[in-house]
Amino acid sequence: MKRLLIGLSLGLAVVAPASANSLVTAGPRPHIAESRFSASPTDEWNRLSRKDGKNVEIWTRDGDQLNKVTFFGGIPSGKPLVREIDKKHQPLPKVAADMLITDIPVLLESTYRIQYAVTQMEVDSQEPATLSGHKAIRFTYRFAREDDGVRRRGEAIGAFVDGQLYLVTYEAPALYFFDKDVEKYRKLAATLAL
Amino acid sequence: MRALSRLALCGAAASLAMLGTTPPTRAAEPGLELPAYSHAYEPRTVDERGVWMEADEAERGLRDSPLRIREAGLEAYLREVLCREVGADRCAGVRIYAMEIPGFNASMMANGTMQVWSGLLLRSRSEAELAAVLGHEFAHFELRHSLTGFQQRRRATDAIAWIGLWGALANSDTSFTQNIIARGIYRYGREQETDADLLGLRYAASSGYPASTPAEVWKNLMAEEDASAAGRNQKSKQKYTAGYFDSHPTALNRSIYLAEAAAKMPAGGDARAREYRAAMAPYLPRFLAAQIKRNDFGGTEHILQSIAAASGWSPDLLFARAELYRTRGNPRDLQVAAQYYREARAAGYAGPELDRNLGLALLRNGQAEEGRQSLNAYLAAAPEAGDAKMIRALVAN
Repeated sequence: MKRLLIGLSLGLAVVAPASANSLVTAGPRPHIAESRFSASPTDEWNRLSRKDGKNVEIWTRDGDQLNKVTFFGGIPSGKPLVREIDKKHQPLPKVAADMLITDIPVLLESTYRIQYAVTQMEVDSQEPATLSGHKAIRFTYRFAREDDGVRRRGEAIGAFVDGQLYLVTYEAPALYFFDKDVEKYRKLAATLAL
Repeated sequence: MRALSRLALCGAAASLAMLGTTPPTRAAEPGLELPAYSHAYEPRTVDERGVWMEADEAERGLRDSPLRIREAGLEAYLREVLCREVGADRCAGVRIYAMEIPGFNASMMANGTMQVWSGLLLRSRSEAELAAVLGHEFAHFELRHSLTGFQQRRRATDAIAWIGLWGALANSDTSFTQNIIARGIYRYGREQETDADLLGLRYAASSGYPASTPAEVWKNLMAEEDASAAGRNQKSKQKYTAGYFDSHPTALNRSIYLAEAAAKMPAGGDARAREYRAAMAPYLPRFLAAQIKRNDFGGTEHILQSIAAASGWSPDLLFARAELYRTRGNPRDLQVAAQYYREARAAGYAGPELDRNLGLALLRNGQAEEGRQSLNAYLAAAPEAGDAKMIRALVAN
């Protein structure tokens, strides 16, 4: 019994780092969000162990309530952006093969309203961009969740590549935090490749 | 447990009776008597002061919340409706906060803070329907349900803890007894809801609004739930009996006992549907836009139909219907959406976003040339719009 316990705890000790938050060091980083996404951050980030979906990865500097970069890596047609918490009563909108590029902010907004109790959200600006050579949309938005009522701002870039959605968002409280780290996000976003 | 809860309610009523209250000014008809009411009530016991302190703190958060709808007039209008429902003397001590939350709800805290969600405002079809829900919430307040509910929960959870400890000492399984007590918490909640429903009905019956309206509210909500389920290819499941852990009676049960009780009361008068529509007109597009983004095609279509059945298909409703179909986005939906956008324009919808969204629907449906025309019309009308650069790029490709 004792040996079994020791074995188990050793096993857990080995497994633990894989399921814990981890440091993202500067330098090339392939297969972000278990996808073709790669980036070369020039400074350090923290990768959260939390998984909002199979192809979703979250990076932060000070915690995801204060600054949060989310990678949605290659969400295929017929799948929602994040894993549904209540498929029956709160089904999320799905990516569709025939979506226009302007449907990306709409999809994000609808997902947020349903999944994260965001009850106010405005998409402010939308402009054409390129993501690793693919036609993309860059947009900015503001939102507030019902639970904490904090005004947050967001900036994102998204594209459909081979029928799959690639999207990166940066979000932080509008007060102080958004401006503090937005340039770091932009530097990171400039290194994105597919 | 039931005896205990009754005792608590009687206690609350008795303590109210001792407070030197003013007699009710309305509702003289038999069966419509309202509880005695006092102005500037102050919490009396340590429990009640605690409940009020928490409510005061929550109210501060609510007052400064970004979700509060601050446009002048809405909260004042809601107060008018509440005052008409429960009487000017009773509503004087209430603060109302209109919140942009798309669910069907209103609630009231022990200190007289009422919050009303935009989802309730969207679904109500007349002042009487809104008043029925506000009156129900006010009844919870008047019956001091926050306090008695808190005390009952504490008694029950204390008992569960002690019985568990006793069971551990005696090495016997007490889970059955604990379950029975836990069940009482939920049943007590349901009894409070029923009490508030019936007192709310008495307000409605003495307010001049039709007494039959409160039952209608639940029928309409059930119809929406059924439509929502059908839209998701699910079975509707309206039940008469509440489940073990339900805090509220079922909508079906409520609609039936409210209708039965209303049949014994004076019928009442005008539901003031026209006044309600006029007051909500400035907010309707915003509430509808939020509802459409909830990915509930059946439920949203039901809401649109139910508003249109009362007031006809206004330009705003037609535009919202077009948006609903475009959002679902099947090829047939895109075709129907284009048709509704055009009907909205014919009915007088003047916003430039109509051309943009019509253009996007056509473009997504493969009607590229027509789509570009509409998008160009949008760009001509709103060249400085936040998305103009993106739309220009779409047109160019």
